[in-house]
Amino acid sequence: MEQLFELFAQINPIDLIQLIFWGLAGAVSFYFSIGNARVWTSISIGFFLIFLSQAYAINPWVHYYKLSAFHYIIGTVAIMVITHGFLEYYVFCRTFEISGKKIVVFVSTLLILIASGVFLIVNPTPSPNTIRNIRMIENAIWVFLSIMNIELIRKVYVAIKDSAISKGFIAFGVVFVCIFLWKGSELYLQIFQWDKDWQDIIAIMTEETSDIDQYPMRVMISQTVNKYAGLLSGFSVGGTFIYIYRLLK
Amino acid sequence: MFLLPKGNPLFENLAATKLKLPEVMTKLSSGGFTGYASFVFQNSTTILVFESGKLISVLLEQTNGARQSGFEAIANLAELMVTSSSGALNVYKLSKDLTMCIHALLQGEILYKAQELKLIDIKALLEKIKTDQLNGCLRIYTEDRSAMIFYKAGNPLGFFHDGSQDIETSSTESQKIAGMPGAKIDLYATQSVEELMGLDLLEVTNIQKIWETAVARHQAEIEKLSREREERDKKSTALKLMELEEQVKAIVTEYVGKVGRGIVDKEIGDRGGNACLIDEVGSAAFLAGIERAAKLLISSTNIRQMMEKLNQTILMAKTEI
Repeated sequence: MEQLFELFAQINPIDLIQLIFWGLAGAVSFYFSIGNARVWTSISIGFFLIFLSQAYAINPWVHYYKLSAFHYIIGTVAIMVITHGFLEYYVFCRTFEISGKKIVVFVSTLLILIASGVFLIVNPTPSPNTIRNIRMIENAIWVFLSIMNIELIRKVYVAIKDSAISKGFIAFGVVFVCIFLWKGSELYLQIFQWDKDWQDIIAIMTEETSDIDQYPMRVMISQTVNKYAGLLSGFSVGGTFIYIYRLLK
Repeated sequence: MFLLPKGNPLFENLAATKLKLPEVMTKLSSGGFTGYASFVFQNSTTILVFESGKLISVLLEQTNGARQSGFEAIANLAELMVTSSSGALNVYKLSKDLTMCIHALLQGEILYKAQELKLIDIKALLEKIKTDQLNGCLRIYTEDRSAMIFYKAGNPLGFFHDGSQDIETSSTESQKIAGMPGAKIDLYATQSVEELMGLDLLEVTNIQKIWETAVARHQAEIEKLSREREERDKKSTALKLMELEEQVKAIVTEYVGKVGRGIVDKEIGDRGGNACLIDEVGSAAFLAGIERAAKLLISSTNIRQMMEKLNQTILMAKTEI
């Protein structure tokens, strides 16, 4: 318990607030998935997984590298499941076809996570550099799938704009813009090696130098965008699910 | 139609529409029947006169007075037996001589037709009948009454008048009618019984073929009517189904938005067309599909309202179609 308090004390207040928002969003989205159609199950499970991926901040065992890497893999699975859900919704809008069972989504997601866990277990313990690479891949996938989801949401909105739920899709559009900024800003820092992880790596493990001092404004803007867009992402996801829940009740 | 003496009734009021003409003919012919059979339908009466099993004359008279005889009459009789919903067959046995007179009345040579009695020397006419040894029938009638005198070789066989059932020996009624103002006479002559025996319509007419043709024609007519009715019903049902489909689309669109039309089209298409809307299992599956799709688009309150409206509309349509 003492360890946990210590951990909380070390967390950046913004990160903590962001985590609380994601916790709320995860709870709302998971609750939402229970009584709704399969399409919503994919979307809400995906958003719930974001919370799990963000929960590394309060994970007392996060210093185990394999567990740390697993958080980022969960994040990658999250956006893939969310995209699958939006893709299904888009297919429904075009063909009005609804197929499959909820249990398949739950089981498939679980199997992917188990397979990822097994992959980490059977492989050597990842180095901080490897973990950073995994995080960078996660961010890259998030950025490109966010753009794809914004386009899918636009198309879905055009198809159903006179339906009650259409405004909910505008809210999802806002969510993905926030997520794009959140993950995109982090990816930007990672690509130019201005992220904290790289700075830690080169400070301890390599002889390499960083040009971060030459671009303080860019780094500062990116870090600020990353903080607040992350905060807004969690907040907007929770709000969107509550809004859609009200629209569908 | 003339009222004819009933003689000895063999059958009366048999349901003509349940009988087969060839069988009736065979029965009367093979039994050596002498007399006449009358087929009475709503708009016509057909008299078949038999002499010792030989069909010597056929006369069909419609209520409007139009007459047919011979092959044409038989063909029409067959047609009537096949197509009519009701009709009666009466068979009366008569003596050969009286049968000859009936034949004369129906199809004999017309010597006088509608001659006013006051312009004729009746005594001379009766004398002529006797001297010419006429076989036939003298019909005396006014607007509303009639009487007949049957002759064989110039001698009266008997008297028959409307209101009576059989041949009488008294001429009182005939004389009474003859004395009425505006009385007219018809005189029909025929060959002797022996000569008539040389005739047999059954020998020259293929009754079986006539009957089969009538049955086949009637069957074809029924089938044609049935096909037409089926087509009409199909068209009417298709029209009503289209209307129902439009109503359903309007309801779904009202709640779900314009995608509603597409959802309805898809659900109907999956179930092989809009006939599923009035089918018990099909409509249940259709409604379940609509509800499932609507869950992705509208609130549960609106879904409930929409489903109620859809159920009512489909239920009403089911009772109409």
